[in-house]
Amino acid sequence: MMQAYLDNKVEGRNIGLLVTGLMAGACLMGLIVAAMVAWGWMPLGERDNIPRWSEGLNVFENIVTVASLIYALCAGRTAWGLVNRERASLRWAQWMLFVSLVLGGIILLSVIIPVGLKFSLLLGQSIDIRSQINDELGGLASAALAIGEGLISISVLIFALIAVLALFVFLIPPLESLRRVEGVRLIVAPPRRLIQAIGLVFALGIVFVLITGLQVVPLHPGVTKIRDVEEHRLLAGLLIFLPALFGYLQVRQVREESDELRRAVALTPGKFIRSELAKSPSAGAIIGFIAIFMAFTMATDLFLEPSSIASFLSNVATKGVIAIGVTYLMISGEFDLSVGSILGVTALSFMLFMTEGAPVLGVLDPIPAAILAIFVALILGAVNGILLITTRIPSFIVTLGTLLAYRAITLVAIAGGRILRYRDFHDDFPILSISNIIFLVLAVIGLLLVLFTAYRVLPFLLRGAQHAWSIREDNGDFGTSGAIVRFVVLAVVALIMLAIVLWLVAVFGYHVSAGGGQLVEVGYFDLFNGRVLSIGAEGDLFHLDIPRDANVRLAILWWFIFVVFFHVILTSTPFGNSIFAAGGNQGAARAQGVNVDRVKVQNFVIVAVLTGIAAIYETARNPGVDPLKGQGWELEVIAMTVIGGALLTGGYGSVVGSLLGALIFGMLQTGLVLVGIESRLFTGTVGVIIIAAVVLNTFVRGAQRN
Amino acid sequence: MENMQQNPDALVDMINIHKYFGSVQVLRGVDFHVDRQEIVGLLGDNGAGKSTLIKVLTGFHTLTRGQIYFDGDAVTIASPHDARELGIETVHQDLALVPLMSIARNFWLGQEPTYEVGPFRFLDKKMMASESIQALADVGIHIRDSEETVGTMSGGERQSIAIGRAVYFGKKLLILDEPTSALSVGETQKVLDYTIAAKEKGMSVIFITHNIRHVYEVADRFTIIERGHKLGDFYKSEVTETEVADMIVTGEIPERLRLYDEEAVGA
Repeated sequence: MMQAYLDNKVEGRNIGLLVTGLMAGACLMGLIVAAMVAWGWMPLGERDNIPRWSEGLNVFENIVTVASLIYALCAGRTAWGLVNRERASLRWAQWMLFVSLVLGGIILLSVIIPVGLKFSLLLGQSIDIRSQINDELGGLASAALAIGEGLISISVLIFALIAVLALFVFLIPPLESLRRVEGVRLIVAPPRRLIQAIGLVFALGIVFVLITGLQVVPLHPGVTKIRDVEEHRLLAGLLIFLPALFGYLQVRQVREESDELRRAVALTPGKFIRSELAKSPSAGAIIGFIAIFMAFTMATDLFLEPSSIASFLSNVATKGVIAIGVTYLMISGEFDLSVGSILGVTALSFMLFMTEGAPVLGVLDPIPAAILAIFVALILGAVNGILLITTRIPSFIVTLGTLLAYRAITLVAIAGGRILRYRDFHDDFPILSISNIIFLVLAVIGLLLVLFTAYRVLPFLLRGAQHAWSIREDNGDFGTSGAIVRFVVLAVVALIMLAIVLWLVAVFGYHVSAGGGQLVEVGYFDLFNGRVLSIGAEGDLFHLDIPRDANVRLAILWWFIFVVFFHVILTSTPFGNSIFAAGGNQGAARAQGVNVDRVKVQNFVIVAVLTGIAAIYETARNPGVDPLKGQGWELEVIAMTVIGGALLTGGYGSVVGSLLGALIFGMLQTGLVLVGIESRLFTGTVGVIIIAAVVLNTFVRGAQRN
Repeated sequence: MENMQQNPDALVDMINIHKYFGSVQVLRGVDFHVDRQEIVGLLGDNGAGKSTLIKVLTGFHTLTRGQIYFDGDAVTIASPHDARELGIETVHQDLALVPLMSIARNFWLGQEPTYEVGPFRFLDKKMMASESIQALADVGIHIRDSEETVGTMSGGERQSIAIGRAVYFGKKLLILDEPTSALSVGETQKVLDYTIAAKEKGMSVIFITHNIRHVYEVADRFTIIERGHKLGDFYKSEVTETEVADMIVTGEIPERLRLYDEEAVGA
């Protein structure tokens, strides 16, 4: 129909005018929002920790202004194109409506999520909330609540009934014949319509409950840590969401004459995003990460605080380091249950070498002790790998055995539930005196690295952008805008690099002005995993402006460095290729001359070494080792890896996925507490998330295959 | 038999090969040779030992007794890697490609082109993509996107890519292990075309199959294996397709041909 409009035929007139009107409206709305925010009529994000440029707008407000201007520009251009019957405007209209849909949805959710959470918490906390509702809001609100709850119960009941019946017919063979009886068939294998109807009733129930919630929640400000409700956004959200939904559904189903056009238009934004996501192993993790991050951000103001983010990053950094190794191993088709025990043994050896002394070498300084302890981990990992390739029993069994066997080492070494503490042997934590020349050198190396990267990357990006600009006419409906986006990316990358250079120059200048050759005292343990602020006097060493209450630990930095390093190895080296091949099809890998056994042992060693490094971080953070240190970590780490998209059967996965998996893990751990949901629900939530993430991954991968 | 003289002209000369798995004797003194630029059809019923013979040659199995000459030199082939070094490329029926990896990565697996930055070696992805598309096009396989995963392709397409890779890398000898057993008629014809392309490139080809119809058209010579023994070598000019098919099934040489191959009768 839209095509008919573009061809100036009569039958497309109404729909074409409608979409043009919607686009013009969207343009107008974008302009209004930009103006309102820019002139300060609509304050956004009034919290103190959002940086403000002098007395003017804060960062959020600037971003929103620019974004809504761009939005208005695109919508206006699309409307103009539609008026002029340009062909590209059809796909632009699809995308603009899609974007509006998402924007409206986000605005609606930012009201609904806090209301829903707070209302359900209120319902759970106070028993007499219902009578309160009756007294304060009158019978209408409690009636809406009753209707909502009734609808939800009914739909759940019907669904459960169908499920139970279907299960019986499936389980009991004599009942199988019932499947063909007309009335029973409707229940056992309900038509799609019926399921949709039940879902609709359920959704209606939720809406009723939310309506009551919208009235009740503002009466109880500050009862929970969940953000207070801002109902005024509801109208704006609905105003954007509903027309966009209508328009999108209209433009989505295009029946076109020419094949070429049909193919171009059939790739709706939704399908396009799905097929793009399917190319990444960690699609489920990406979606999960965005959804969980946004949900917590919307639910409570406490989540986006630097202190919360720092705390969850610090909590998962060590596990995240192990997850990198486990991902490698899982991609190569194997599995390690023994990491928790290896962590315990490494932490124990590290502590023993520093306190009671290593055999022959005596009491060691922290850095030699750490190196030696990591070497112990390496040997434990090599034992795992060699056991696997010599006996050819599954790695699950091998590492289940070593999980128990290695745990015995710590249990025997530290008798009777004692805790081996550093302070029991030494009066003070070890201090290392570093000449600040080292920092000068580090800053120079950093500068050189950044400049080298800029030298390699910037011309490459520039050439790409220029090329895209030169062929913009032939590059389809998004040729020009794609080229513009490439130039913007180039500018952003250049700015980021400039910022890093400026920071490094500042660090350099700071240490030069402090006088060369001066000794700086640094806690040994702080080098491994200290609070960044407490390294050196007043945390000046890094010359960073970090809020005082943020527990930013150095392990986070190490973790990110490891992620980048191992990601590059996995995706861009022959070794990485052989890991994928070893897990994907052992026989093919062997036939192509890959030494599969060696790759597997190498991966076991990599896991163990990374676990050893994680053990050093953990011990440095809390210098005491108990016999059960690291127990249960193996499953948490495997959970992170699986959420990150690695296949248990091997051959597929990514390091960035493990990073996202670990972040999801950390966000849940911190976020659930902040929202005020029982922390005992944490493991349950993680369980649901694992299954959901893997289902999502499989679903998205299926999209690629079709 | 032990001291049989090796043939200096042959590319591969396997003499008196024995292979036991425990007490099971799979190969009992097989002699097998391939001349230069020759397509040999290695035939035999299922379980005759033809796959084992090839796996000995490609380093998957080490031989129990016997000697292999390659290019005139006595060699020991202890791993697939060794075989590759010698210039032997193999397409195995079930272990050709890794389904979850892209075409380009599969194509270069085990011998990736790299560039060096200091002590580190990185994959040259640009070259991997362009070269694999070009090389496959050279043998008549046209692919759209070298980043596509192999798992999404049909059996015939996969087999084509595996063979295209082997032809590209193969220096001297190309071994095809049951390449056509799961293919349609059209796809089989394509595989036969690749086989001839490889011969024209100067390579020798061993084409293993239990179905004579798949190979009669292109092979120069047939070697028939029967329960761990070699039944005989037959040039295409000497035998008809039906006779070869009968020999595979019955394990006996027809009266007419016995004169040509005294040795097989003696054994």
